[in-house]
Amino acid sequence: MPTESAPVLRVEGLTKRFGSVVACERVDLSLHPRRIHGILGENGAGKTTLMRMLVGLHTPDAGTIEIDGQPCEISNPVDAATYGIAMVHQHLSLVEPLTVWENVALGDNHRLDPAQTRDDVVRLGERYGLPVDPNAVVADLPIGLRQRVEILKSLRRDPRVLILDEPTAMLTPDEAHELFGAIKQLVEEGDRTVALVSHRLDEVIEATNDITVLRRGVVIERTASTDATADSLALAMIGTRPVALKVRTATASTGRVVLRISDAVVAGVEGQRQLDHLNLTLNAGEIVGMAGIENNGQHELIDVLSSLRSLDGGQIRLDNNEVETGSPGAMEAAGIAVIPADRRDSGVVLEMSVAENLALSDTPIAGRLGLIDLDAMRTSAEALIDEYGIDCVGPDAPMWSLSGGNQQRVVLARELCRNPKVLIAAYPTRGLDVGAVAFLNEQLLAAAARGLAVLLVSNETDELLTLATRIVVMFNGSVIGELTGDERDRTRLGLLLGGRTS
Amino acid sequence: MNDLIRAVGDVVTSEATWISAVTFAALLGFGAVGEWVAEKSGTMNISLEGMLLAGAFAGAVGYDVTESTAAAMAFGALGGVSVAAVQAHMSHHLSADQFVVGLTLNIGVLGLSGFLDGEIEPQTARAARTALPLLSDIPFLGDALFDQPWPMYLLYPMIPLAWWLVYRTRWGLEVRAVGERPNAAHASGIAVNLRRRQSIYLAGLSAGLGGAYLTIGVIGSFDTAMVGGRGFIAIAAVIFGGWTLRGTIAGCVLFGTVLSFRLSLPLVGYELNNELLTSLPFVVTLLAMAVFAQRVRAPGALAQPFIGMPD
Amino acid sequence: MMTRDRAESSSNVSTTSWIEVVALYVMSITLALMLSALLVEATGGSAGTVVEALVSGSLTSPGRWGQTIGIAVPILLVALGTIVSTRGALVNIGQEGQLLIGAGCGAYASVHLGNHHQWPGGVVLVAIIAAGIAGGALWAGIAALLRYKRNVPEVLSTLLLVAIASQVVAYALRRESLLLAPLGRGQGTQTQQTLAVPESARMPSPEIFGNEVSLSLVLALLAAFMVAFALARTIWGFRLTVLGHNARVAQRSGVAAARYGGIAMVTSGAFAGLAGAVMLVGGDFGNYRLSAGFAANIGWTGLLVALVSRGRVLPAVLIAFILACLRTGSGFLAATGVERRITDVVQALLILALLIPPALLYVRERRRTEAALDSRDLS
Repeated sequence: MPTESAPVLRVEGLTKRFGSVVACERVDLSLHPRRIHGILGENGAGKTTLMRMLVGLHTPDAGTIEIDGQPCEISNPVDAATYGIAMVHQHLSLVEPLTVWENVALGDNHRLDPAQTRDDVVRLGERYGLPVDPNAVVADLPIGLRQRVEILKSLRRDPRVLILDEPTAMLTPDEAHELFGAIKQLVEEGDRTVALVSHRLDEVIEATNDITVLRRGVVIERTASTDATADSLALAMIGTRPVALKVRTATASTGRVVLRISDAVVAGVEGQRQLDHLNLTLNAGEIVGMAGIENNGQHELIDVLSSLRSLDGGQIRLDNNEVETGSPGAMEAAGIAVIPADRRDSGVVLEMSVAENLALSDTPIAGRLGLIDLDAMRTSAEALIDEYGIDCVGPDAPMWSLSGGNQQRVVLARELCRNPKVLIAAYPTRGLDVGAVAFLNEQLLAAAARGLAVLLVSNETDELLTLATRIVVMFNGSVIGELTGDERDRTRLGLLLGGRTS
Repeated sequence: MNDLIRAVGDVVTSEATWISAVTFAALLGFGAVGEWVAEKSGTMNISLEGMLLAGAFAGAVGYDVTESTAAAMAFGALGGVSVAAVQAHMSHHLSADQFVVGLTLNIGVLGLSGFLDGEIEPQTARAARTALPLLSDIPFLGDALFDQPWPMYLLYPMIPLAWWLVYRTRWGLEVRAVGERPNAAHASGIAVNLRRRQSIYLAGLSAGLGGAYLTIGVIGSFDTAMVGGRGFIAIAAVIFGGWTLRGTIAGCVLFGTVLSFRLSLPLVGYELNNELLTSLPFVVTLLAMAVFAQRVRAPGALAQPFIGMPD
Repeated sequence: MMTRDRAESSSNVSTTSWIEVVALYVMSITLALMLSALLVEATGGSAGTVVEALVSGSLTSPGRWGQTIGIAVPILLVALGTIVSTRGALVNIGQEGQLLIGAGCGAYASVHLGNHHQWPGGVVLVAIIAAGIAGGALWAGIAALLRYKRNVPEVLSTLLLVAIASQVVAYALRRESLLLAPLGRGQGTQTQQTLAVPESARMPSPEIFGNEVSLSLVLALLAAFMVAFALARTIWGFRLTVLGHNARVAQRSGVAAARYGGIAMVTSGAFAGLAGAVMLVGGDFGNYRLSAGFAANIGWTGLLVALVSRGRVLPAVLIAFILACLRTGSGFLAATGVERRITDVVQALLILALLIPPALLYVRERRRTEAALDSRDLS
């Protein structure tokens, strides 16, 4: 399957451990000029670690990296740039308060030349169809444009090898399509090589020439994209045939409205509205999927429903009682449970124990005279650890010692054990391995079956189509469309995601 | 209160008061310019007070040894930098809490300079004034700004230099990136903690010069109480200025003027309550913060340690 | 997947052996002491005699350990308050001022209720202590208000309030209507100090083994126990801890930052004020009189004790005692010809030394776990 030309970059026996965790184990990889190489694997397979080693953000424990047949040491991204390797990170490495050109200039190692840098941004932008204003402050740009900045930043160093880490995670299907167009142009015109890291089968098959599949840090399969099918790749990626979720929520909900959000407004900077007269109702026993490209108001809505910010207009009613917004703990007390998008940000306290995290709002552990009932805390923690299969050394284990999936189980256990009426799950499966994903999905379905109103905010189309009874689409701070029953297909969803209602 | 208002009126019209206002503003400026760079990189450098004092004492020792003003200033700079070295490596190498380190250093420098002052008893003299030709003839402000002991003139080029460094060089761009989003800066290949340490060294250098200026250019002798919390006011000036250099300098001028009241009001014939005069700069600083602190945006990673990923 | 996870989580819990920890502490403390000794020798003193003088001045000479305790008590009290505010992630560094205002308010109660109105001693004693607590709480309250209403960083406001506090007290010390003692017979000039606390209102100091041990020791140990208990075992302490670690999680679970943080800040000020009052009625400072410079760096020292003990009460008790030893010991240094300020240097070096091991260990642990988490979460 590799082409006859000599590889630009060749990696042999690359190994990286973190403590006892093996992230990459004797990985071999060859990237050839003028080809797009897909690196496929599920979350935790070691894709990002491998790529970070190529740009000097991790130092390998063993193995060699050769460029044009010459072994080389890459100890930081500036080194990597001099060897012609650049990486576009999944969690963008932009400094938002700085301007576009300043960000593009970051990480160079020659004299700062503002005029030249601005020119480069404009020139490269025009050439590859990625235009962006060099003087704009990054914080003011939407996510799609920010990613452009990141790509231009890499391109300006004229890399021979460009690594893109999950580049479509925050793009609309249209934007993703445009991006792949630009990448093809890059490879063909510029004699470049692209490594595309992804966990999405379809896009890897569509956009790449060669594919390497990683599982638990080990290369499982190498193939040409033309020989690959979604099934064969999925099998390689996961190790077993993917089990489709057969269970589905009863489409017929009881119809009783539990949560009603009406005309919700959250003001942003300079007259923009982060939530713009948003209306949404959740019924008992249904899972409502909320789709939408990132930064279209989902985070603000979740923050409001977590008592983290107040509404500038509109109201939230639970069982027809208005809930005060922005008041500490009000949402939780009213019966709204939340699995936040970033558990480290507002889901768990890493420095405290598992038991304490399970008891964050203190009703279950409150003893007499304002004292903590340690026995009650321990017993209830043990019960929850058992019930939710939380893998930890015990209730006293510090939260930071748990894996991501187990931290997420702690959040879920805590939120559900208080018998809430509504469950908001924001990107609940992000960054979890297959086992944890399946567990979470089952829990969501079970919760709905028990009569909870569930709101599943996600940007995984498959997840939404499988689990949700109906799907609402967020755009510019309000719900611009709803898909129920048979309308729930990819094409319509794709159009709505881009803001097109017809 | 009426007295105070009339006093302020008289002060503004007296040249002698301008001189002392500029003197204090300059002292704050020496501290604040370096502190501004340090805060841009993400450190709230509480040890600025200690850096000023170390500079003041080292300057005194330098003068005692060499009897040269220039050497005294160099010693002062060295004094400030050595405090900076401890602060920088403790907080951005070992990642000890920067406030704890800063406080400890302030107390340590106070003790050390007091101890050594008793042992060495350095003899110092106040440097003579050097009038800059033409500039010092400017009516009203000429004497205050351009007929001062020469160490003060060091501050004038330092201000534009600091601005140029932070806004026009790669180093400055990296410093700002490191202060705003250390993780992003790290991913771009910038040595976050190194840039932060360098910024603190710069703060030490500038505060060290400021301390020596206080000893050699203003008072003419060393005393452990001579800095007396003005380092903290310099920090407040940076916050007051909303982390812009222009605002920081404005803060120094404002707070410096208020500081000078204690000397200048009696000079123009007003007997104001001494305690009120002494606390006035601190009260004004606090009030200014209460008004302005809500309107400014601090560097995103101010006072947050950066713990890099393992390699 | 599951089995691998289990192996990781158990190995992550502790990656450092206690031998390593002890070795690190021993090394850095030795280094600090060696540096101090070097400084003494370099300036013509003898490190050996300095150590002898310090030990004799703080512990072994007659009556000295009682005095050391008298100094350790206010240091500990300040530290206890600081432990509370630090638990809520508040950086209160203005204890020196809060303490002075507390002492000032205590002195006001003493002068007006005790000296002028001659209330019964016990009542005056309680009033002095209550006034001290109120004064310190008030002074910290200003910073809390500025923080939660006006967004002023408390690091700076508490610091600036120290400078203002000393002027406020100095002002009161120049007015007979407030604190200044009236001119006595045969006295040429009026010294800026208050009348002495009436004997009946002083903190009793029973003699134990030839040392006068102030009853405030009992008070401080009780307070230490209460703080430790409140933080570890009460809902209030639990909520404050959540707030200190993650303000967003706290807000979600119903912990109002302004309320809990404000109370923590005020509590911390109250403890500093209490320390000031205890200093006044204990007599180890200023001989039962308030005068300029009364605070004597006790606020700063207490703050450092709290920070170095990293929020734990038992180490704070120990470190407070050690620093008090340095202080009382320094009284005996004059005979050795070494400037007594050397103890300030030793103190600073010791504190820096105590900061190094935990910082080193923390960085290492955190890097390992972050990397492990990162490789599982993001790749």
